[in-house]
Amino acid sequence: MPIIQKLVRCIGAGISLCLPFMVTAADFPVKPITVIVPFAAGGGSDTFVRIFQKAIREHNLSPQPIVIKNIAGAGGTIGSRAAHDAKPDGYTILFLHDGIYTAQHYGNANWGPADFEPIAATGRNGVVIAVAENSPFQSLSELMTEAKQRPYQLVFGTNLGAPNHYSAMFLQKGKAGAKFRFTQTGGGAKRLAQLKGGHVDLTGFSVAEYEQFKVLDLRALAVLSEQRESAFPDLPTAKEQDVDAVHGLMQFWWAPKGTPPDRIAYFEDLFRRTMETKTVRERLRQLHIAPEFHTGKTLKETIKQRSANLEGITIEKPPPLPPVHWMVLGLVAICGVMVWREDRVKSK
Amino acid sequence: MIELFTSPLILGLVLLGTTLGIIVGAIPGMTGTMLIALTLPMTFSMEPVPALVLLVAMYVGAVSGGLISATLLRMPGTPAAVMTTLDGYPMARAGQPGRALGLGIGASLFGGVISWFALWQLAEPMADWSTKLGPFDIFSLVVLALALLAGVGESTRARGLLAGGLGVLVAMPGMHPATGELRWTLGITSMNEGFRLIPVLIGMFAIGKILDDLTSDEGKMETASGDDSPFIPLSTWRHQIGNLLRSSGIGTLIGVLPGVGANIGSLAAYATAKRASNQPEKFGKGSEQGIVASESANNATVGGALIPLIALGVPGSVIGAVLLGALIVHGLQPGPLLFRQNPQAVHAIIGTVLVANVVMFALMLGGARWIARLPSVPKKILVPIVTGCCIWGAYALNGLWFDVGVMLFFGVVGWRMEKVKLPLAAFVIGFILAPVAEENLCAGLMASGGNYLPLVTKPISLGLLLVATMLLLRKKNVSTKTA
Repeated sequence: MPIIQKLVRCIGAGISLCLPFMVTAADFPVKPITVIVPFAAGGGSDTFVRIFQKAIREHNLSPQPIVIKNIAGAGGTIGSRAAHDAKPDGYTILFLHDGIYTAQHYGNANWGPADFEPIAATGRNGVVIAVAENSPFQSLSELMTEAKQRPYQLVFGTNLGAPNHYSAMFLQKGKAGAKFRFTQTGGGAKRLAQLKGGHVDLTGFSVAEYEQFKVLDLRALAVLSEQRESAFPDLPTAKEQDVDAVHGLMQFWWAPKGTPPDRIAYFEDLFRRTMETKTVRERLRQLHIAPEFHTGKTLKETIKQRSANLEGITIEKPPPLPPVHWMVLGLVAICGVMVWREDRVKSK
Repeated sequence: MIELFTSPLILGLVLLGTTLGIIVGAIPGMTGTMLIALTLPMTFSMEPVPALVLLVAMYVGAVSGGLISATLLRMPGTPAAVMTTLDGYPMARAGQPGRALGLGIGASLFGGVISWFALWQLAEPMADWSTKLGPFDIFSLVVLALALLAGVGESTRARGLLAGGLGVLVAMPGMHPATGELRWTLGITSMNEGFRLIPVLIGMFAIGKILDDLTSDEGKMETASGDDSPFIPLSTWRHQIGNLLRSSGIGTLIGVLPGVGANIGSLAAYATAKRASNQPEKFGKGSEQGIVASESANNATVGGALIPLIALGVPGSVIGAVLLGALIVHGLQPGPLLFRQNPQAVHAIIGTVLVANVVMFALMLGGARWIARLPSVPKKILVPIVTGCCIWGAYALNGLWFDVGVMLFFGVVGWRMEKVKLPLAAFVIGFILAPVAEENLCAGLMASGGNYLPLVTKPISLGLLLVATMLLLRKKNVSTKTA
């Protein structure tokens, strides 16, 4: 009897131990899954997730819909903070590219990739360095030689603190002594306007952006990938031009720290199947995003390497800018006094 | 292009989009951006052309609908309608809500049509022109806008300046618009973006107004109602033709500039109209010219903002950015190639701007008499509905309760500011313009290596600054003469 009792108890314990896993595996997800996109609707990241959302729905890949929550602002840090603080139950995940590294490195966030569970990387977007058609530079090596001989003269239009800024800093690092003068131009298409109007000397575009803009009198000098991009087989890499710089934008999915591994596995599988759909493959081809897909070990290595690359990058301060906020405070104080005197005169 | 709009499906979508846009635009707290972002996933299963038609119609409707609540309740339903509150509400309170609405609706149609024409015929040269303006030029343009606005409102100059300065001050916390560094955030992550426009705007105007009404002695919601005709005789429009053309032109031109667009268009047109007017003293007290200038200009920014979107793939406004995403999701490649690769999509966008403006005119004018009774809805029904919409709207913006807190806080600020006669419009203008000015000044300085000289050596910037100085000096002369 005792043996049987023990056996029953053991089996019972075994079942009750396995039960939670079995239940979650079968029962996840039972409600819609929220994907936090830390940028405004309509931007590159938002569009990317919407393409996934569309593919998942069209191919019935998930029993529950994907809901996009745009928490925009401050270079993605507000949205990534919200995801960081979300309940780690798999119902809230984050979609954020290399901005998760750069925000931490730039000092605008005290959390980074190590504070999340990585789920997958879906797609890589190369970076193209471009100048205006009437620029004197015909190749990247010419331009970098100039940047070395006359440091801080060539104006690089970028979005300070964002991955695009880091592309330029990798470029500087790739040719010792070369320095650019950075200016704020904002995201993707705004850089095009500034380059075209002659307000900046050079800038970086994603391969996708360059593909759309190239008809508008631009000249690409190099692509910052390991190998030439299939979209532009004639465009040499930076490495071919003696500039040791490699950079590109990876699209990552993250879950809050502590999300159960079986739920991470659910998303790995979901995104793998989504990447294989015709919808996603065609859209990515149109957007010139390389359909790379990493999970598990290769993903961890990619993440480690990207963090390591940032070491040795130092941020240089821009030229002294007017302390607008203190000036405004002063102005308000003066106006306040004027109004107070006005009132006193009136009341007399 | 014409065949497209003979299809009943397309016309139905224009009608649906415009109607929804007007409703959302009219409700304080809900914005066109929200509506379009919510609708976008629903258009996934549609063909690209009908989807674009629906979304663009919503855009036109939302910009137009803002005039309803701005005129009748003094609560701008959209940021672009702030200037309409200045004259629309006084006119409505004086017993002519129909007339105020009619003027706004007609002017909206006119502005929409002018900008449609620019979009249709002048898209490429105007997009080209917009790239010529560098950061220093844009900074000078904002300075000019500020100079124009110095005379808006009826309060004294010191009070206007203080209110405007407070608006600028409130825009300071958060990420530095040029360097991306954080300042004055008190270590709160939600503060990294600073205070957002929509919670501040609806807080100041809507919540502030509700607090004022609730605490006033009569305990009655101060609104306007009346039964006059919204049909404006042609002779009135003939009088306004110069104002209409000028304001629509200003709205279109400023709408083209990415990031500067929609909000500043109506401010600049309003202030210019006041300068040009032979009755500037009526502005702020129910001036016809003021309503016409503000409303024709804000609808003109729609076509203007679509110009760089179509010609360059650069969104001119927040809604433009959402439309850009819609193009990509539907498999169209925005940018300079769009015209060549997908002419039918471009024609659909351009055609919808015109048709939706006409539909908007018919719908709003037809419903104006009915709409004008809105304020006679009892306070105990109206107040909870408006408050609920505001709270929901502020929350839905980003799903952050922080934004709701910001809205309530600025509700109290707006209410107190009105009590001490500080003009709310000046505050909001300062708040909107400050980041644009700072970002461009700093971007220019970073590109020039800290050199301020290009401000006066670049011809466009120099010209704008000279005009601004002239305006400020002339204003002084006028005031000393009248004093």
